[in-house]
Amino acid sequence: MHRQWQDHCGRTVTVRSIADLNAFTSRREFMRLMGMGGALVMLPSLFTGCEDGANTGGLTGPGTGNTVTIDFARGDIAVLQFAYALEQLEADFYTQVVANFSGSNLTAADQAVLSDIRNHEVIHREFLKAALGSNANFSLTPTYGSLNFKDRSPVLAAAKVFEDLGVAAYNGAAQYLADVNNLLAAGKIVSVEARHASAVRDLINPLSADFAPTPFDDVYSPAKVAFAAQGFIVDKLAFANAPTAFAPGPNGNG
Amino acid sequence: MMTLFRQGILSTVDPELLIALDARAEEIAKGASVNSAVGALLALGSIPIALGALAREVYGQTPSDVLDVLQFALLLEYLESDFYQRGMNATLLIPASDRTLFSTISTHETTHVTALQGLIGGKGAAPRTKPAFDFTAKGNVAGFAFLPTQYATFTALAQAFEDTGVRAYKGQVGRLINDKAVLNAALSIHSVEARHASAVRRLRGKKGWITRNSRDDLPPFTQGIYDGEENMTHAGVSVTPLAVNFGSADSATEAFDEPLTMAQVTAIVAPFLA
Repeated sequence: MHRQWQDHCGRTVTVRSIADLNAFTSRREFMRLMGMGGALVMLPSLFTGCEDGANTGGLTGPGTGNTVTIDFARGDIAVLQFAYALEQLEADFYTQVVANFSGSNLTAADQAVLSDIRNHEVIHREFLKAALGSNANFSLTPTYGSLNFKDRSPVLAAAKVFEDLGVAAYNGAAQYLADVNNLLAAGKIVSVEARHASAVRDLINPLSADFAPTPFDDVYSPAKVAFAAQGFIVDKLAFANAPTAFAPGPNGNG
Repeated sequence: MMTLFRQGILSTVDPELLIALDARAEEIAKGASVNSAVGALLALGSIPIALGALAREVYGQTPSDVLDVLQFALLLEYLESDFYQRGMNATLLIPASDRTLFSTISTHETTHVTALQGLIGGKGAAPRTKPAFDFTAKGNVAGFAFLPTQYATFTALAQAFEDTGVRAYKGQVGRLINDKAVLNAALSIHSVEARHASAVRRLRGKKGWITRNSRDDLPPFTQGIYDGEENMTHAGVSVTPLAVNFGSADSATEAFDEPLTMAQVTAIVAPFLA
């Protein structure tokens, strides 16, 4: 599936797969797009400074809603809130997928996998909500543009984006966790996201090499993940006190 | 010196730390290298501060601890890479339809071996050597020799190794919390092992994820690979009440993979060491 949205200067940004994030943004370009140079507040600054008007996505477009700020000064809580945001998105997506099974061209085998994943993502969301308690104080509104939930190909393509992004997100956020118990909990979830990614990729391209495209999974900074996730979220995802240091993973593309 | 410590300053210290400190002190007495900061502090007579530094070392956020994890991971990757190389080289074992899947995994495991060797070398240590393996697991997989008729056994062992790998890495990440480069490397391998596990399980007609502590159709001697996967409490939060409202207990256990300790993994791997 394609996700398109307007960046702050009205340029169209398209993401067909997680790989596109790397293709159209060198790290320097990405950093520039994010308007960051060290400590950052992400999206509010994205919506300023354009000649011909910002925020052309419409009222339900990505990033047009209320600002949800994750404050990394809160340490592990912020990392768990970031995970909670992503799990809200995933859980909502698969809930919609399952709700659209009737009349869909997804096979019975597809539906069995997607139903399981729906259950897992909802549990992940609810687990993080319970773990965060009063800090689980935001509810995001996802948006999927013109995605046809009855059509197998775009549904599986979107699922692939979400799962790969989830893996890279947990792998990259782990370095900001100070409590080994939280690190372990993240580890318990990320490998299940990777199992999902493998299964979805195998549904798309059975018995190919796609289930695990590289010997090392990507390790993405929270900023990079937020940039990708923003295309599916009406609320503006924003960071305060975002970490200035990021240790890259073996693929060096975080 | 340790006796004096134990009766004085250490009387208020966590007994598990004391045991570990004792062992570490013996190593140091035998000439093991000590963190230079610890040595300097001890030389200055600043025992409480040196103790804190030693405690950090014992609790696994030090180069020696990271090396221990890397060497442990290397053994698992040797096992996997050897297994898949033999499988890929065996005549008529892997059907043409499945060779892409297994060649992908085989290449990854070999790459993991090289990467871990590099990380270990980068820490100034020598990577452990590759041991000889016994894929009959001391007779638990009687007669297994990568023969053309043994593909079902091959895929069953692949599932066992991949599911073990996921749990083994997961059990060690906490010890890497202060070495972000190695943490990232371990995590990026850990999730690839999970991708492998899912692919192999699905190839075998199973779900890509582990339900409760089920070993599916694997032989009983592999049960240790799955024990504990039924856990419903994570970071102190029980998902049992959540599972009632969302999905089921089965799906709640599938949603979280569980760690294994180094000792548990060692017991699982032991039969495969020739």
